[in-house]
Amino acid sequence: MQERITTTLAWRNVWRNKRRTVLTLLTILTGCTMIILLNAFAKGGHDQMIEDAVAVNAGHIQIHEKGFWENRTIDYAFKDETDIEEILNDLNIKSYSKRILSAGLLSHKGNTAGAVIQGVDPEKEITVTNINTKILPGGRYLKESDLDQILLGETLAKNIDAETGSKISMISQGFDGSIAARQFEVVGLFRTGNSEYDNTLLIMPFKQAAEVFTMMGFINSIVIRADEISSINTINQNLKELLSIKSDSDFEIMGWDELMPELVQFIVMDDISAYIFDFILFMVVAFGVLNTIQMSVFERTRETGIMLSIGTRPSQIVKMIMFESVIIAVIGIALGLLIGYSLSYYFQINPLDYSDYTKEMEVWGVSTTRWPAEATLLNISVTALITFILSFVFTIFPAKRASKLNPIEAIRQL
Amino acid sequence: MSIIKIENLKKTYDSNGIAVNALRGINLKIENGEFSAIAGPSGSGKTTLLNIIGGLDKPTSGTISLSGEIINDYNPTKLSDLRLNKIGFIFQAYNLIPVLNAIENVEYVLLLQGIGSSERTKRASNILKEVGLEKEMNRKPAKLSGGQQQRVAVARAIVSEPEIVLADEPTANLDQDTGSALLDLMHELNKKKGITFLFSTHDVMVMDRSERLVYLRDGIIAEDKTK
Repeated sequence: MQERITTTLAWRNVWRNKRRTVLTLLTILTGCTMIILLNAFAKGGHDQMIEDAVAVNAGHIQIHEKGFWENRTIDYAFKDETDIEEILNDLNIKSYSKRILSAGLLSHKGNTAGAVIQGVDPEKEITVTNINTKILPGGRYLKESDLDQILLGETLAKNIDAETGSKISMISQGFDGSIAARQFEVVGLFRTGNSEYDNTLLIMPFKQAAEVFTMMGFINSIVIRADEISSINTINQNLKELLSIKSDSDFEIMGWDELMPELVQFIVMDDISAYIFDFILFMVVAFGVLNTIQMSVFERTRETGIMLSIGTRPSQIVKMIMFESVIIAVIGIALGLLIGYSLSYYFQINPLDYSDYTKEMEVWGVSTTRWPAEATLLNISVTALITFILSFVFTIFPAKRASKLNPIEAIRQL
Repeated sequence: MSIIKIENLKKTYDSNGIAVNALRGINLKIENGEFSAIAGPSGSGKTTLLNIIGGLDKPTSGTISLSGEIINDYNPTKLSDLRLNKIGFIFQAYNLIPVLNAIENVEYVLLLQGIGSSERTKRASNILKEVGLEKEMNRKPAKLSGGQQQRVAVARAIVSEPEIVLADEPTANLDQDTGSALLDLMHELNKKKGITFLFSTHDVMVMDRSERLVYLRDGIIAEDKTK
């Protein structure tokens, strides 16, 4: 019953100074909208970056012989067994591709350069990566029938003065310790936007790599593409368990975050700056509410004195003022969530295009040029909850102060 | 039993570091059903005394009892409950809640007391009819004249049927005719409902109509005269 008068008075008090209330609502609304949008861009952008980076070469998960990633030599290889394929076929993954990996020296027209050599099955590889879409005009992707045909990173080709159609020589060491040397024809150059790949990578057909490096049925890596990024940890866990049961080899199973620590570092840095910005916005909202309630309470000092003098309990004064804050916060948050979500949805459908900044992003090993937003339920609910709690907490002080007013002194206020 | 019993009441204010003795030892008893006034020149301590009786201010020393209970050490919540249930206030400046209309202002006290909706509306509208405001019930204070606002204040003060109504200069902002009509109304309520009225005033008309006049001078009772 008494709550009714508290809510009635609170509602009327909220709207007695409409301009101030609207300004406060706008502060909360803008704050919530910006926080939701900012976090949606962070989430959507990071997911896109991961997807782009994963799609170029790394995949979501890689399986190696233990020690490979630290040493990166052809010596760390494991037997290409049907057991492993059975395990992979049973897992809930999109696809996988086997690779032979080595390092070698390339030579063309008297120029030499070191290269990372990757032997891939042309058909399987493009179910895991999108390297076929990165081929520069004038070249082509590998065919199943190719043997001496290879692809080169654009910068690597430039470093040895090679182009599509050039014949280049390669010298390296085979898995059995023999010399691996061969001449190849460049059938295509690729530009991934990732300087590491563009500067060093040579891609050749798996069959040829197996022969050139005398692999004897061994491979260096299996690259896996998951259906969803969220399922990576489960796949990783299952792989570890199943491989330890079914195979004698000692494997290292690495997720994209271990394969691309520089990307993780970029995302962490980006998240930290987003949190700082979130904090600033939350404080703007909180002090906006505090200012409104302080002013509103100050203006009603006399009225509060009257209420106290005719029998209103101090706790009822606190409740009334807290309820005023709740009304403003709930309306502001609801509108903020609506607008924030709508804008996020719009940018999910129509991502920002920042292809003009590709060079800057390459420094971080990122080739993403589209930046979508993705507002998650967690983002929306955390924003709403923190805004509500801050509005509530920042009202306690003025509400308590009003409840402790001396009625006589308060009534004397003009 | 006296409704108000004051013994050796003293109140000292600190005014810019100087101690001001507003009340210097008041002994007073107000009986149930009285229609009395505390009079005196400005600064004599009449409003201070009324505020202490109403639990709006604390004495420096001495005791004050309302219906046999000493209220000196009541905490703010207990004092609020005392004012809600036993005391009605009428202020010089009407002091209505501006966002509530006339009937809501009167109902506010009943709401705080937890009285149900239909009973509340019935009592508030009846009391407003008694003070002659049946047509102004839904008007907000800003749309009422000074006399009408003070009538709403009277209605609010008596609607909960308190034991005592404390009125601080109730006619000070009203013209002669309006003030006189208001006093007639309060006197009638005093007779009809047996509510005790205690005024603080320097209005001669209020002093004339009061049945007992307690005259304060420099914080002490100079004269206590029952007519």
